[in-house]
Amino acid sequence: MTESAIVSASIMEWVEAGHPTPLLIDRLAEVTVRALREANLRPRDLDAIITNTTAIPFDSPSYITTSAQHFAHRLAERIGVKGAQCINVCAACASASIAFALADSLIKTGAIKTALVAGIDNSPRGFYLPGQSVLDPDPYAAAIKVIGATNPAYWAMWARRRAYEMGQSVESIKELMALVKEIHSKYGALNPYARYKRIFAAKDVLASPVVCDPLHLYMICATSSGGGAVVVTEMEKAKKITNKPVKIAASTVGGPIYGEPMPRLRVFSTMNIEKPFTEWRLPIEKAYKMAGITSEDIDIIECHDTSCFHTINWIDQIMGWEREETDKLIKNREIEHTGRLPVNLSGGTASFGEAVMSQAFMMIHELFRQLRGEAGERQAKKNLKIGIFTAYGAYGAYGCAILEKAF
Amino acid sequence: MKKSVPIIEGLFEWPSENPRLIATRCPLCGSMQFPKSSVCNNPDCDHSVPVEQCYLSTEGTLYTYTVHAYSLREPFEYHKGPYIVGAVELPEGLIVVGRIKVEDEKMLKIGMKMRLKVDKLYEDNENIYLSYFFEPVVEG
Repeated sequence: MTESAIVSASIMEWVEAGHPTPLLIDRLAEVTVRALREANLRPRDLDAIITNTTAIPFDSPSYITTSAQHFAHRLAERIGVKGAQCINVCAACASASIAFALADSLIKTGAIKTALVAGIDNSPRGFYLPGQSVLDPDPYAAAIKVIGATNPAYWAMWARRRAYEMGQSVESIKELMALVKEIHSKYGALNPYARYKRIFAAKDVLASPVVCDPLHLYMICATSSGGGAVVVTEMEKAKKITNKPVKIAASTVGGPIYGEPMPRLRVFSTMNIEKPFTEWRLPIEKAYKMAGITSEDIDIIECHDTSCFHTINWIDQIMGWEREETDKLIKNREIEHTGRLPVNLSGGTASFGEAVMSQAFMMIHELFRQLRGEAGERQAKKNLKIGIFTAYGAYGAYGCAILEKAF
Repeated sequence: MKKSVPIIEGLFEWPSENPRLIATRCPLCGSMQFPKSSVCNNPDCDHSVPVEQCYLSTEGTLYTYTVHAYSLREPFEYHKGPYIVGAVELPEGLIVVGRIKVEDEKMLKIGMKMRLKVDKLYEDNENIYLSYFFEPVVEG
């Protein structure tokens, strides 16, 4: 199988959600050109353009295909390509991660040699409430209508259950989540692309209003608009483009798993068969197998932290160790840039706010810069070789990849 | 007089003195789904027999919960914060998410016995809208 690598990665500044201008397609074209220039490639070199769709159609009253679902085609039109495959990926919070995994697979099988993975999102503001679809009434709407279970309600239920299974008080997981926010915010302040630069102390986080107990307001990410572009090529070509290629050691795509006891957003019911969070763990296990590594080889993590509970659970699942180890790692601040397992040195979604479908670009960009030693003040002190990024969202949407220094 | 109507048809028996949740069960493998589904969801199922409608146990144990502090905006503004959302595990092995009714949230404990209750969710000028809730079983 052909090896694949990232040769360039660009992101835009994450900004407040909900503003229609500047036009998304203009911002996307601009960041794409930056990524192409870093790789010294031209649009004609692209065999594929794979983008995420945006969260907007969720709330669109329209029931015909919308422009927000076709960024690949519109971007191809904007930059001008010659025969590139255009693919739009829709998978909630994991959309861009899956677009990336798809590009990786197409290159590894030899179907293409060079892919642009790009995307932008402009999230709805506040709690995500369903719209009305005329032809396919959204079953998710029913869970909100009947139960009033918003996304943070599910995250909060997961967090409380983790504390219970560990025999901990709810206060202890609150304190841990507040510390996660404090640490993430320190790095957001150092990231020029992050929307939020304020550094929070754990006590400020605990003093913010409760949204869904045990989640306080500052433990939940805001909604933002942002995106980025990444160029992926086969390894042979990557080595000609850059002397610092970052290998894609593995990429996996997940989905809902039968028997996962933790109710995924926004189901009414689930069969309790598997170990809790199997849905989060399985694609990681597959990625380790594909890359021929174990959790002990992971040097750095970028994970999709729509709440601070997510960061905790991602560490649990990525490391596959006793959960007490995760608590210790965080409490000892070993997830900082000076620690033994840095997590979200980008500042995380906690500092960016969530551009739902495009969030992976922030994670890929950070790992790419960290592994190349180009992360400036945020640069991890330890010698980095292998990093992992993960995303999980509504409907059980899931994407994950392992990146490795290849120079 | 206002009419009492289910918030969504087909979730629970109504009208009924002791309403139960309506689900589907695969006669082959026993996998259950709530709300009703058209096919079995067990990946090992050969789908040679269609699923059947069934009714769920009305008692289970509290799996997890959260107090939702904020009210939702229109058209869901009848979910007025603070309200409680929880998940209850039924003897069938199915975990069901629903609103929880309790006088004092502090009395909720994971693992405690819960019972189904169909009650008013909200009313407008025409109807009283009913939904299913879970409430603690008070022993004794």
